[in-house]
Amino acid sequence: MAAVMTAMTAVVALSACTASGGGGGGGGNSDDDGNGDGDTPAGGTLTVSTSFVINSIDPGQVYEATGALAVHAMYETLVTFSGSDVSDPQPLLAESWEANDDATEFTFRLNDDAVFSDGNPVTAADVVFSINRLGNLKGSPSVTVEGLSAASPEEGVVVVSSEQPNPNVPTILAMPAAGVLNSEVAAENGATDSEDAAAEDTATPFLDQTSAGSGPYVLDSFDPASEIVLAANESYWGDAPDFDRIVIKNVEAQNQKLAIERSSGAEIVLDLSGRLLDGLDDSLQTSGALDTFYFVTLHQDPDVSEVSSNPDFVKALRASMDYAGIAALFGDDARAAAGLVPPAFPGALPEDETKAQDLDAAADHLAASGIDDPSISLMYPAITYRGVDLETIATKIQNDAGEAGITIELDPQPIAAFLDAQSAGRVEFRFSPQSLNYPVASSLVNNFAPGQPSALRSGWSEELASAEMIAAGEAVYEALDPAAQDAAMQEWQRLIEAESPLIPLAYNSGVVVATPDLTNVEYSPAGWQVDLRTVGRS
Amino acid sequence: MRGRTGRPLRSRLFHAPLARLLLRRLATTVVLLFGVTVLTFTLIQLVPGDSMTASLSETALNDPSVVAAYRAKWGLDEPLITQYAIYVGNLLQGDLGVSRQTSRSVLGDLMTYVPATLEIAIPAMVLSVVLGTGIGLYAALRHGRRGDHVVRVGSLLGLSTPPFWLALVALYVFFYLLGVAPSGGRLSSWITPPPRVTGMITVDALLAGEWMIWWDAVQHLVLPVAVLTCLTVAALVRFVRSAMLEVLDQDYVRAARAKGLPTFTVVRRHVLRAGLVPVITVSGLAFASLLSGTVLVEQIFSWPGVGQYAFRAASGLDLPAVLGVSLFVAVVYTLVNLMVDLLYGVIDPRIRLS
Repeated sequence: MAAVMTAMTAVVALSACTASGGGGGGGGNSDDDGNGDGDTPAGGTLTVSTSFVINSIDPGQVYEATGALAVHAMYETLVTFSGSDVSDPQPLLAESWEANDDATEFTFRLNDDAVFSDGNPVTAADVVFSINRLGNLKGSPSVTVEGLSAASPEEGVVVVSSEQPNPNVPTILAMPAAGVLNSEVAAENGATDSEDAAAEDTATPFLDQTSAGSGPYVLDSFDPASEIVLAANESYWGDAPDFDRIVIKNVEAQNQKLAIERSSGAEIVLDLSGRLLDGLDDSLQTSGALDTFYFVTLHQDPDVSEVSSNPDFVKALRASMDYAGIAALFGDDARAAAGLVPPAFPGALPEDETKAQDLDAAADHLAASGIDDPSISLMYPAITYRGVDLETIATKIQNDAGEAGITIELDPQPIAAFLDAQSAGRVEFRFSPQSLNYPVASSLVNNFAPGQPSALRSGWSEELASAEMIAAGEAVYEALDPAAQDAAMQEWQRLIEAESPLIPLAYNSGVVVATPDLTNVEYSPAGWQVDLRTVGRS
Repeated sequence: MRGRTGRPLRSRLFHAPLARLLLRRLATTVVLLFGVTVLTFTLIQLVPGDSMTASLSETALNDPSVVAAYRAKWGLDEPLITQYAIYVGNLLQGDLGVSRQTSRSVLGDLMTYVPATLEIAIPAMVLSVVLGTGIGLYAALRHGRRGDHVVRVGSLLGLSTPPFWLALVALYVFFYLLGVAPSGGRLSSWITPPPRVTGMITVDALLAGEWMIWWDAVQHLVLPVAVLTCLTVAALVRFVRSAMLEVLDQDYVRAARAKGLPTFTVVRRHVLRAGLVPVITVSGLAFASLLSGTVLVEQIFSWPGVGQYAFRAASGLDLPAVLGVSLFVAVVYTLVNLMVDLLYGVIDPRIRLS
């Protein structure tokens, strides 16, 4: 009888607290949860709501936003970034580092205090294993370390070599995919850093259920459909994290707005951008950065399309776009594009070079193209990205082109079919959002310069580009000083605008919205969105 | 009367056809499942897009050795017929394969997500049957009067309401405006789930004696269950009403009324039993539909059920997972239909004898 009474009392207590806490789903604060059975640790729970984009939380495979968010909290990298600043790498596992004069060799000295969650020290061998495994897995994030290799000449020292001069190696090694694994644990569970790792490494299922890093949080549970639960790493070698538990929940963007407005505290949402930010409660914290660009590209092979491969048609289409109108569809914070590089990164073109619609020029270019009544099909993924339905943007593109006498048929595709068609490289005209592989503008040259993977998907080979265009790309690689590289990036973008089949349309923000009681909730364009390692409570 | 074995004759008469029915259903199920595998396997080959593109990076796709290893790992280097034969061979050993997206066994994934769906589908179905029968019967008894009109309009509204819209409105009103319901998910963030036994948190919490967790889980069930119930009740009410109206018009019911029996007695002893046969059919189909087709409601309430799993599998061209879900749906429909057939026999002796 006493047990029944106790249970009933507990039920009533929780019920009352739920009602006062905004329905129970919005709180996430252990201080008011009424949980007296010891389930909630003293540091409380941080709730992070996001619309899941995730395949794996194995650092060597992590590429999507949700995975990067979680992996960054569990696995540490040699260096990292603080807050929203992605220009100045900070020490993490490496206490210092230096580069040789031609930026082909970087020597990192490890912090002796660093230990994994099982208490074993982080060694140079672990770092070498993790970087080489990342490259050899040939997964989506492997492209970031292409041309890099790691070795350890002595304990506590790691040397990362680059085939090409590359001053951005520390930035690349700050990415969550370069997170350092406990190589012993990983190897026991099927991981390998050998050259055939892509075929032989079988550790991903293990690492999707157990973390093996040195970060302030460890994995408690992972369900790709619903939630990732992190627990505080009790053996953490740095300052103890503020929360004992972080729950990253899969929640639709529209519901995130309702949830954060009803929240009683310790809650972050990550997918409110554009119009979803309108009318948000003033007490909530918001932080964002224009780090994503949206673009269309036209295939340059006449066998694919006589229309899209016509240079004057490309110019006509470029002139017909109402860039400001397209940006407005993304919300107040969005901006019309000037070049490929979003404003969050050094190397972006200045705002006064923002493009504008010019229907007279479009008519002239169309006449020069010699194509009467041009018609073309626009393929795009039928998704909502960062709160914006891409169908809306595609329709605007269709209407703008229509004003210039260009007929566009919309061809929305499921994301898998879109990716498949894109990889096949036979789509005449396509539209998609794009983020940087790592937060350095020059990473776009690796991807979009003529002959590079994204350019080749539009049939834009080096043979089709001018010598000036090729030289501009090489100038970016050759510039070892950040200021010189930024200037070279701007020049490269101007040529992209003049002669490429790429038409950047608008920039949009990633935004973090947090309850007022949280600290260090700045949006980071580094890929992890918000640094869960440092989020605290005021 | 007793037969040669000493068992009641009625029992033997019932059990022999029952065994035959079960055997027949079992054979049908095997054929059906085989058909489902053939159909799904064929259809997924026709879908534009390659699962390899969805799974491998561009770097990997450009490396023939990685592509070859991937194709060998998933058996994609074999002719389609061989791939199918391997799949069926594994299936016969209870192996549904490994999901290419989650890297876990499809059976394990289903064991994770099906209980979550069951947790909302079962209460929604029970409530729907109780409310649907009650309201439908009420409308039939009040045929042509105001109560009947109200019920008919209400059920029409329910049938016309898109599930996702109702779910969004429910969330907005009960979570956002009134603050009396949680926003979604199966448990509040700050609560650690109970040890997994059945996968249904309410049941597992009870088994663990965790009353607060149970109560939190129940609160999270309320909105999704209410939305699913509204949608199912609307359909059931119309069927119950028309079935009951038909029975109420039968001579034996009129005779019972003419004899002066109270309405309650007439309904309980003569109307309900006869009118329930079509209701059971519809209820069965509705239950199977709840188990397999609640993707939008699951999405809006962040409910990690089999509907969301199916959606992710289809979007990612995850063939083993798509096949696994298809088989699950086929089994659900078959089992539900079997139960419906058995219930026919329980309710209507004429069906049992035939």
